[in-house]
Amino acid sequence: MADIGYLLIVLGLAAAVYSMVTSVYGVSARRPALVLSGRNAALVAAGLTVGAALMMEFLLLTHDFNVRYVAETTQLGQSLYLTITALWGAQAGSLLFWSTILAGYTISVILVTRNQHRDLLPWATSVLMLTLAFFLTVLVFLRNPFERLTFIPADGTGLNPLLQHGGMMIHPPNLYMGFVGFTVPFAFAMAALITGRLDDTWIRTTRIWTMIAWTFLSMGVLLGGRWAYDVLGWGGYWGWDPVENASLLPWLTATAFIHSVMVQERKGMLKIWNMILIVATYGLVIFGTFLTRSGVISSVHAFALSNLGPMFLGFLTLVLLMAVGLIIYRRDLLRSKNQVESLVSREASFLLNNMLMVGVCFAVLWGTIFPMISEIFTGDKITVGPPFFNKTVGPIFALTMLVMGFIPLIGWGGATTEKFLRHLIRPAIATGIGALALFLLGVHQVYALIGFSLCLFTGYTTVSEFVNGTIARRRATGENPFQALVNLIQRNRRRYGGYLVHIAVVFIGLGIVGSQFYKQEVTQALSPGESMQIGDYTLTYLGLQQDSDLVKQDLYGQLMVSQGGQQVGVISPQQEFFTAANQVMTIPAIRSTPKEDLYVIVAGIDTQSNSLTFTAHINPLVMWIWLGGVLLILGTIIAAWPAARREPAPVTEAVAERASTRI
Amino acid sequence: MDSITTNEEFSAPHEAVVEARPIWRRWLWPGVGLGIVLVFLGLLTLGLRTAGVPGPQAGQPAPDFSLTLFDGKPLSLRQDLAGKVVVVNFWASWCTPCRDEAKLLEQTWQDYRNKGVVFVGINYVDTEPEARAYIQEYHNTYPNGPDLGSKISHQYRVQGVPETFVIDKQGNIVGLPAAGTSSQTPKFTGPVTANQLAALLDQLTQAP
Repeated sequence: MADIGYLLIVLGLAAAVYSMVTSVYGVSARRPALVLSGRNAALVAAGLTVGAALMMEFLLLTHDFNVRYVAETTQLGQSLYLTITALWGAQAGSLLFWSTILAGYTISVILVTRNQHRDLLPWATSVLMLTLAFFLTVLVFLRNPFERLTFIPADGTGLNPLLQHGGMMIHPPNLYMGFVGFTVPFAFAMAALITGRLDDTWIRTTRIWTMIAWTFLSMGVLLGGRWAYDVLGWGGYWGWDPVENASLLPWLTATAFIHSVMVQERKGMLKIWNMILIVATYGLVIFGTFLTRSGVISSVHAFALSNLGPMFLGFLTLVLLMAVGLIIYRRDLLRSKNQVESLVSREASFLLNNMLMVGVCFAVLWGTIFPMISEIFTGDKITVGPPFFNKTVGPIFALTMLVMGFIPLIGWGGATTEKFLRHLIRPAIATGIGALALFLLGVHQVYALIGFSLCLFTGYTTVSEFVNGTIARRRATGENPFQALVNLIQRNRRRYGGYLVHIAVVFIGLGIVGSQFYKQEVTQALSPGESMQIGDYTLTYLGLQQDSDLVKQDLYGQLMVSQGGQQVGVISPQQEFFTAANQVMTIPAIRSTPKEDLYVIVAGIDTQSNSLTFTAHINPLVMWIWLGGVLLILGTIIAAWPAARREPAPVTEAVAERASTRI
Repeated sequence: MDSITTNEEFSAPHEAVVEARPIWRRWLWPGVGLGIVLVFLGLLTLGLRTAGVPGPQAGQPAPDFSLTLFDGKPLSLRQDLAGKVVVVNFWASWCTPCRDEAKLLEQTWQDYRNKGVVFVGINYVDTEPEARAYIQEYHNTYPNGPDLGSKISHQYRVQGVPETFVIDKQGNIVGLPAAGTSSQTPKFTGPVTANQLAALLDQLTQAP
C-alpha cells in the first residue's frame, strides 16, 4: 500500500509538470486544445495528491508501522483524532498535507472559474502547478512520507507530546489553509503581470480566495495563541517565537493587501503596491516554511534539522526574482492615473494603515532573523526577546488602532479638515470621559491608559456606524431596529462585515492591553491543606491525584478556589509524563471570566511528601481575545460572502455610505 | 479604466509615457526593490550556511547554572567547577533508559574523580523521595540535585532524559561525533556507553 502512495505522488508530480508546460505553451501558441489539456492535467495532479494523502491516512489508521512515518508519529493506544492528525505531525507528512491543500485550492479554483478569464487562467494554473510541483519534488526525492522500514516495529514512538492536544486537530489545518490559500491570488497576480492585463480583474477574481485565506490565517494565528495558552503553561498566548512570527508576517502584509485592493478597485491607484504586497505575502509564506525547516532559527516549533533548507531557499529565490522581475518589466503599465486628493480621505488612511502594517512586518521580520544576522556578522547568535517586539510593535499597533478609529469618520475621495474635526468632537469627548473613568477605577499606567482609550475611541466610532445606519434606515423604511440592523448589514456586507472585523480587533486589543499590563503571578509550594493568595483568590491545595493510560501518566494537583470568601470551584492543573518520549508536559488549569483568567500550573513536584509548587497567574481580559477571534471570523464571512444575484458593491455601497455617514 | 492595458501590447512596456526621464531615474526604484530582495536572499543564504542547532553548541561556552544538591550544598558551574572537566547528566527516576547508564556513570566517576573530572547529576522533573531512592539504589555518590523549575534543562534545551553534556577545562561544550554524519553534536542523547565516555575523558584530562 505504501508503494501505491509513493506511486501516486510520482504520478502527481509528472502530471503537474505536464500541466505547467502545456498550459504555458498552449496559451503562448494560442492552441486552446493544449490549454484544455493543461487544465485537465492540473485536475489530475491535484486528484493524485489528494489520493496520496488519503492513502497516508489509511496507513496511519491501520497502524502500518512498517512505514517509517507511521511508526514515528503514532503508537498503539493513541486516540483516533491524534492518529488522524499525525498526517501533519511531522516533516514529511506536513509537506504532503501542504500539497494536498494546494491541490484542493487548485481544484476549487479551476471548477469555480471554469470558462471565465480564459487569458488569465492558463497562466494562473501554471503558477499553481509550479508550486505543487515544487512540493511534490521535495516529497518524491527528499522526504518520501511512504518510506518503508526494513523491519516491522511492534509499536510506534507516538506523536511529539507537545502536539498531543485537541488544538492539533484545528490549528495546523487552519494555518496551512491560510498559508497555502495565498498561492491563488499570487498565481493570478503573476498571470496578470505576464499577460499585461493589469486592470483589477485579477483582484476581483481572487477576492474570495484572498478572504478565505485571510480568515483561515487569522484563525490559525489566534488558535496558535490559544494552544500556547492552554498547553505550554507559561501563562501567555504569544511568545514572539520565530515560528509564531512566521505566521504573523504574511498576515500583516495580507491585511495591508485586502485594504489596499479596495483603493485600486475604486480609484485605480496603488497597482504596483498591491503587486508588491501579494508577492511579499506569498514570499513570506514560503519564507515561513523555509524558517521552520532549515534550522536557520531555533524555535520550539521547528521541525527536526533537515536538508530541506537549500531547496526552500532555492524556490523562494526563484519565486521572488520572477515576481520582482515581472513587476519591474510591467512597471509603466502599473502606474496609477490618480493621486491621493486629500490627506483626510479614506484612501489616505488606507495607505497609512498599509504603511503601519508593513512597518510592523519589518520590525517583526528584523527581530526574527536578527539572531541569524548577528551570527553571520559577529559569530554570536543574539536572540531578540519579547521586549524588543513589544517596544517596536506595540506603538505601531496603537497607531493602527487610531487609524482604524478614524476610518468611519472619513469618506472616499476626501473631506475637508473642518468637517473631519467636527465629526471628531463626539468620539473624542466620549473617549475622554471613558479614559477619566478608567483612571478613577485604578488604571494608572500611562501606556495601558493610552491603549484602552484607543480601543474605546475605535469602538465608539465603529459602533456608531451601526447605530447611525440603523437609525437612518429606520427613519427611511419604518422597520423595527433589529430588522433595520440586519438589512443594513445585508445591503452592504462588505462594509459592515469589515466594521465587525474592526470591532473584533478592538476586543483583541482590549485583551492584549489588559493582559500585558495587569498580569500578576505568584509561585508557592503547598502541602495538602495549605493555601495561597493571588488577587482576591484563595487557592487551597486538596491533594494529589494520579491517572495513567498506555501513552502517559497524569498527575493532578487539586485546588479549591475561593474568591472573596466564596467557594467557586475546584481546578486541577496537571503534569503529564509521556513514557515513550520521556517528556513532561505541564497542563494549566484555567478559570476564565470576562474580567480575568485565573491560570494555575504545577511548577514542580520537588519536596518531600505530597507538597507541590504551584504558579498562579491572573491574566485580565484574556477572554476578549478569543471572543474577538469569533467575531472576526463572523465579520469576515459576512464581508466575503458573494452577493447573490443582486449587483453588488459599487452602487449600493455609495448610496449606503451617503445614508449612514454624515459626510 | 485601463483601456490601454489590453492584450494588444502584450510585450512592449509603455516607453512613451516616461521617455523624458533620465535613465537612472527610471531604474532607481526598480534597482532599490531588486536590491532589497537580493540582500534578503543573500542573508538567508549566509544564514543557511551558518545554521545552528538549537540550544548549546559544540565548542561554545557551556551555559552557567547553579543548583542546590540533594545533600543541601550549593553548586555553581562557573564558580565551583572552573578548570575541571565536567560531565553533566540529566536524569529522572521515572526514566527507564537512565537506569541503563546509572551504574556506569558512578563507575566512571570513581575512575576519574582524581583526574580533575567532576560528574553532576541533574534531576529532571521528578519527585524527591523517588529521586533519593534511585540514588541509593545505584549508589551514586557524585554531586546530584533537582532542577527546580526546570531552569537548567531549559537552558540546555533538554528534549528528554537521559542526556549528557561534557564540558572541557575551558568551560566549553565538547563536540561529539554524530552518528552517520561528519558533523558534531553537543550531547549524548540516550544512555552513554562505557567506551565512549572513558575514551573522551582520557583525551580531555590530558589536554591542557
